[in-house]
Amino acid sequence: MVYQFAEAAEAVGSTVKRFSAMAEALRYLRDLIKEEKVAVSELPDEYAALRDAFPPADPCEYPQVRFCLSSAQAGIARTGTLLLDLGDPTGRSATALAPIHLVLLKESTILPDLRSAAPLLGAALDAGTNAYLSLTTGPSRTADIERVLTIGVHGPRELHILILEGA
Amino acid sequence: MGKSEIREKINNSYLRRALKNFAAAYPVARAKALEGIDFEGLRSRISESKRGVLRRLPELVAEFTRNAEKAGATVHFCRTRDDANRTIHRIMQEQGATFLVKSKAMTSEEIELNHYLEKQGVRCLETDLGEWIIQLAGERPSHMVLPAIHKNKEEVAELFSKATGKELPADIPTLVKAAREALRSGFLTGQVGLSGGNVAIAGNGAIGIMTNEGNARLVTTIPRTHIALIGVEKIVPDLAAALDVMEILPKNATGQKITSYASFIKGPTGGEGRALHIVLLDNGRMELALDPLFSEALTCVRCGACANVCPIYEIVGGHVFGHIYVGGIGLVITPFLHGFDKAEDILKLCIGCRKCNEVCASKINIEGLIVDLRDRIRKPTGQKFLFGTFMKNRKLFHGALRAAYLAQKPFQGEGGRIRHLPLVLNSDVGGKSLPPIAEKPYRDLVKEGSSRSPLPDPRSREKVLFFTGCLADFVFPEICRDAQESLELLGYQVSFPQNQLCCGIPARYSGEMEVARDMARLNIDVLLAEGADYIVTICPTCTVSLKHDFLKLLEGEPVYHAKAVKLAEKVFNYSELAAKRLGTGDRGPGTRGSGMVNGTPHAARETITYHDACHLRRGCGVYEEPRRVLRELAGVEIREMTDCDKCCGFGGSYSFKFPEISAEVLKNKKENIKESGVTTVAVDCPGCKMQIEGGLETDGSSIRVEHSATLVARRLRR
Ligand code: SF4
Ligand code: SF4
Repeated sequence: MVYQFAEAAEAVGSTVKRFSAMAEALRYLRDLIKEEKVAVSELPDEYAALRDAFPPADPCEYPQVRFCLSSAQAGIARTGTLLLDLGDPTGRSATALAPIHLVLLKESTILPDLRSAAPLLGAALDAGTNAYLSLTTGPSRTADIERVLTIGVHGPRELHILILEGA
Repeated sequence: MGKSEIREKINNSYLRRALKNFAAAYPVARAKALEGIDFEGLRSRISESKRGVLRRLPELVAEFTRNAEKAGATVHFCRTRDDANRTIHRIMQEQGATFLVKSKAMTSEEIELNHYLEKQGVRCLETDLGEWIIQLAGERPSHMVLPAIHKNKEEVAELFSKATGKELPADIPTLVKAAREALRSGFLTGQVGLSGGNVAIAGNGAIGIMTNEGNARLVTTIPRTHIALIGVEKIVPDLAAALDVMEILPKNATGQKITSYASFIKGPTGGEGRALHIVLLDNGRMELALDPLFSEALTCVRCGACANVCPIYEIVGGHVFGHIYVGGIGLVITPFLHGFDKAEDILKLCIGCRKCNEVCASKINIEGLIVDLRDRIRKPTGQKFLFGTFMKNRKLFHGALRAAYLAQKPFQGEGGRIRHLPLVLNSDVGGKSLPPIAEKPYRDLVKEGSSRSPLPDPRSREKVLFFTGCLADFVFPEICRDAQESLELLGYQVSFPQNQLCCGIPARYSGEMEVARDMARLNIDVLLAEGADYIVTICPTCTVSLKHDFLKLLEGEPVYHAKAVKLAEKVFNYSELAAKRLGTGDRGPGTRGSGMVNGTPHAARETITYHDACHLRRGCGVYEEPRRVLRELAGVEIREMTDCDKCCGFGGSYSFKFPEISAEVLKNKKENIKESGVTTVAVDCPGCKMQIEGGLETDGSSIRVEHSATLVARRLRR
């Protein structure tokens, strides 16, 4: 399934990388981000090693920051889609403003199709709390001028999906 | 919408090219996106669920409101457009806000929100790229999903240059980048954000929004107040129903498997100071939901597919083919949302090809609703007489056609064809030649016995009544003869009832339902009187009328409805009836036996192409039989052309009402025929024959257009 996910995600313009250890993922991020500031969105403590490796951007800097780092609740293999829980508007704005969005995805959370993600969505939406869930598939795109597909309108121009194998 | 506007769109070469390219690319992308998806199953589920919603809409509105408000949203139910505009303005005022930043919402176009707010001193900024282009140009969308499909990059460059104060080249990536930069500050400084919504889930109070650009996420995130303006018919009972809609939408809209972003929003998120207002727009929908005939229109999910496949939309675009909502469904809902006066002209633009029905995400009988709506609009003067008195009276109508034979003589050109139609009919026939009215209609030939059955008439044969239809009877008597003789050679006993009348379709399509009903009753009596086994037609439009429309027309009359049911069971198209003799080797007693065709070696067979008549393919669901009949009885090979089932542009009186559109639709058909490289096109409809033959002849092409019956008869007579 991870293979199908990667293929589908790449088909819509995502960059997919697979890592067998957190340290490898960190190396990839270091190469990419170098010393730049990162807007962090919805990154639980289990990813502290990655989160704390880069200087965090202040929310007022989000419109200028190049990188946003976050994690997905699940992946959908059929379409290469990520399920993101974006309940916090500050973090959410980071995922929508930054030109490069980096998302961590655990291999074990990849589901076959939209329908199989319904219980997850349902649980989040039926719970007593408010929610903002996003199914994200590839970078931001438009075909509004002469129907020519163009990547990166208002949202990220690049979507990097970092799959953590065995996790 | 006047003739000049139609002409202007036809002559807009960019628009034409854009729509044509889209029409060619869309079906390919859609088919790919639908791979592995049970489209029929999916759309049946959507249709059922949405119909269920309409039956208990007030209840679901209450449930949605309850759940959304439990999550902290405020729901405003707005009965009218004005009501919605005022409500949104009030929300802005409460925030002391004067700048509204928007993502795409067709409902906002429907209530003309920008116009209203700007008069109140509120600045509105569209951030969907297509919508922004339209806003800068001061126009309205010409497509529900691709609002600016009619604008080329040069026009966009000019608009963006003016808006940004920079000189921008007509280069798409540069333009998109410029828009990103220009609209960024809008997102960051907009005080209130407005979005539409694709679904509103009653069961948990969440709304769902799909976009590709990512602007909806910014609009619903950065400003602290989010207003979602949603048509009340977007309510679905639960998440499963919502996912069905979200699954089909992108596939049907643009041929994408899924949009880049699909968001579910339940209540305001982010704590203190954050607000979510959901404006549920009624604007006639609650009333329409109760309409037994037209409520179906509200099950639309706004995928835009009905425009994508429409041959008329492809020619004139959405500024002509629709009002605010465009395409087939635009024609249907405009009268209910914007008034019948806005709909009168556009309802006539549909040619009735039913392509839209085939792709509709909610399985709506769009074409049927358009026809039924014509009954409710004002009819042109003189139409009452034409249909009510003239066509219903067989002697009068046929007398006039005979007179036309004499009157047309001076107009006949080379080969006896007519380039200008005299008399009642329009002289502007859009650059195609027409066949003349025959000296003797088939009904006269039958009477004189010059078309006698070549075979003995044993009683054991199945009895067939031949319903020719007016066009074949008076213009193509030779096709009638070919049909009758070939069916007899196939073992049927065929007779022609002299009292048959026009099938009533021209009246029905012009909105004269009463007249159509009268004709239906008269025809039923004639056709059931003789206790035949089958009724055969050679015109699919007549088949649709006899087999399907009579049932609908006579729904309220138990006695005639029962008769219509009986008739419907017996009505078949020529190819269907001929196909019944395939494979059995049985041509019936008294015929010359079988095996005549199968003896022809493959290489010696002529290769032809086949044009599917709209009313045969989509009206009757028949497309295999004609091909089998041609292969096995006429002994030909078939090389399929591109878009073999796309309308030829005839549409009965349509080609006289809108000759220019008709000619453009025909042009596409001719190109596809010529590309197939054959010398014969087979059709199963005299209307298609007349249209395509006239078009090819005007081009000086030598490709012949033949009715299947002619090709079969020719072969069987050998
Ligand atoms: S029936 Fe044909 S012409 Fe009419 S709206 Fe549908 S696709 Fe268009
Ligand atoms: S009528 Fe059907 S095809 Fe047309 S927009 Fe609505 S759902 Fe789509």
